[in-house]
Amino acid sequence: MRTRLRCFVWVGLVSMVALVCLASIGEALAGESPGLAYFRQAKINWRQFEGQKLTIGLNKHQYTESLLPLIGEFEALTGIKVEYLILPENEYGAKLTADLSQQRGEFTVIMAGAMRNWGYVPPGWMVPLDDFLKNPKLTDPSWYKLEDFFPGLIAANRWNGKFAGGTGEGPLWSIPVMSESYILPYRKDIFDQYKIKVPTTYEEMAEAARQVKQKAGIDGLVARGTANFPTIATGYLSGVKSYTDGKWAELDEKMNAQFTDPRVIKFSQIWTDMLRESGPANWANMTWYDGMETFAAGQAGMYPDCDFFAATYEDPKKSKVAGKVGYALLPAGPGGSTYSGLFTWALGMSKATKNKEAAWLFIQWATSPRTLLNATVEYKNYNPTRVSVMNDSRTQKVMGGWGNGTYLKTVQENLKTARIAWVPNPERPRLGDTWARALHEMYFKRLTPEQAMQRANDEVNKIFTEIGLRK
Amino acid sequence: MPSQAGRLRAGHRTAMLPYLLMLPALLLLVGMLYPFCLGVYYSLTSYFLQYPHLFRFIGLGNYVKLPGDPLFAYSVQFTLVYTAVAVLIQVSLGVGVALLLHARIVGRGVLRAMMLMPLMMPPVITALMWKVMMASTKAGILNYLLGLVGLGPVNWLGSVNGAIVSVLIIDTWGNLPFVSLILLGGLQSLPYEPYEAAFVDGAGSVEVFRYITLPLLKPFIILATTFRVMDSLRIFDVIYATTVGGPADATMNLHMRAFFYAFQWYQMGMGMAYAMVLLALVFVASYVLMGYWRRAAEQTEL
Repeated sequence: MRTRLRCFVWVGLVSMVALVCLASIGEALAGESPGLAYFRQAKINWRQFEGQKLTIGLNKHQYTESLLPLIGEFEALTGIKVEYLILPENEYGAKLTADLSQQRGEFTVIMAGAMRNWGYVPPGWMVPLDDFLKNPKLTDPSWYKLEDFFPGLIAANRWNGKFAGGTGEGPLWSIPVMSESYILPYRKDIFDQYKIKVPTTYEEMAEAARQVKQKAGIDGLVARGTANFPTIATGYLSGVKSYTDGKWAELDEKMNAQFTDPRVIKFSQIWTDMLRESGPANWANMTWYDGMETFAAGQAGMYPDCDFFAATYEDPKKSKVAGKVGYALLPAGPGGSTYSGLFTWALGMSKATKNKEAAWLFIQWATSPRTLLNATVEYKNYNPTRVSVMNDSRTQKVMGGWGNGTYLKTVQENLKTARIAWVPNPERPRLGDTWARALHEMYFKRLTPEQAMQRANDEVNKIFTEIGLRK
Repeated sequence: MPSQAGRLRAGHRTAMLPYLLMLPALLLLVGMLYPFCLGVYYSLTSYFLQYPHLFRFIGLGNYVKLPGDPLFAYSVQFTLVYTAVAVLIQVSLGVGVALLLHARIVGRGVLRAMMLMPLMMPPVITALMWKVMMASTKAGILNYLLGLVGLGPVNWLGSVNGAIVSVLIIDTWGNLPFVSLILLGGLQSLPYEPYEAAFVDGAGSVEVFRYITLPLLKPFIILATTFRVMDSLRIFDVIYATTVGGPADATMNLHMRAFFYAFQWYQMGMGMAYAMVLLALVFVASYVLMGYWRRAAEQTEL
């Protein structure tokens, strides 16, 4: 009995070993994957760092999802071993900051971007990428085509390190892989049916919301409402900048908070009144996701927020309003112009990386025209950051259909003037949280708008004094 | 025949046994002590993750700033008041539920099994489930049911008072089984002689409850209260999954505050200071309550 069992075990082991051998021989015989041929066109030696190891830490996102199946291709191309870790966004932020702060080097290639760079660059945690781009041994400029990226997005990732200014100049800290700007999707069917005017000012927007609520019985609009900085970052901040003609910033050069500007107070009042009157009952609890789902479920008339949510609105499997949405620019301020904010996720490099050139090869590979095209076309990574990807027929086919063409038209118009709305400072989360809390105080009428903004002002001033950036 | 030396060695070994058995628990304790001591240390420093150059030992500097922090006073007040109200409700209801499950009714076994279900769910899942049910529009299940009896839709999670009540409801739903379980165990362990005597004396059920059941249950009630007080002071997962401290900071207790300072704003020093204040509260509460429990257990000699 025992000898028979041992016999089985041996047969099992031998057959497993045989299978593995056959499989690897088979794979070797199958030849190179077709994708590698594309990368071999670049006039650099991809294998110059063969045998090295990289640990990549990224946050969960359509773009990072698109990279996962291709990691094997990168390893075959370069001979560099890649270990990667994907974490949900909040967790990623905390873990990344801890790793950078102790310069442990566990995260080499990192997900950064305009706003995050402001926290990571001043302590010297990131490596500028210009030298890698200019090095002919590491980058083939005619193949990689840095100029193919939308200029505004590259500018957003340049920063000269000065707080309260300096975006767009200085070293390039990260390569953008995804962009979003803020527009006004609205229920074209409802607006047409009840002859509601598509708003061009914020006062008109309040009126349109009121009419949608009265006549169509659904919430006039939705907006983010939780008491933290993402609530400020999108429609609201774009509105503030529009209302102040793009000339106001939340901090001046001396890092003094500027919330008590009467135009900001007035706009905040318009915004919170509009939401209280015609917005959802649980505004104070709404994340971007709740807002997007509510609009896609047909429960709201407008959602001034991320443009690329259109991918959800126009998908009949995910939304009830596919084909019924129009896309307009955000309303203008009294000066007549609209200023949309901008956000990008971008790949950067940690200073604690031991093999920086190998990490640059990864960044170059991950942001090459083909990888980004794949991310957008196959994995719905919107909005694309390369002009070639945006103009590709497959992208155009998908995005061109949204809103009967109004989406592309509006977004391309928007990208001409969209810019990072925040002022470079390392305390954006805390500043934003304090600001959002002031909005809550206004919304629930616990304080008058003036009092709420004054309190936010004082709190933010205290924060910057505490960290030594404000005298 | 073991030699003299052999017997000595055997004696050593049996003397060592208790310590060896304790070793895993000791290692765990040390493992927990290290981050704890580090935390206490950080609360005495100005540790900002993003500004390593500002790191400095500042003694009680963080603690001194607490009274001046407008967010602190409310957090303490909310933590204490929430705990008091939640524990009162949960223990009162728990006694009632335990009595019902103790009574000889049909389907008692099934009811007891059903009672255990909320305990089996992770708190975050519970919170998310309730969050969906508590949607503020008429489409939310709770509001729909309220509508059937003619009551208007309630803004559960989106209004200041609604949010506090909602957190209370979710917390109670999840933890009532725990309280009931302890009290049910207590009820089942009570001696039957006092009840016999009361029956012979002709006491009514209310008097039986007041003069026999309740005093005998005292140690169990205090035990359940202790657990619930310690948990309610530290409640985090339900709040984080539903309101994240909002709206307008209404559900921002000390634990949430510490989390925000440490993991949203990367201010480790201040975050740990908040956590230490919470620790002090929990410690004092549990010390006092355990004292009561010891005395009650002695009184009832159970």
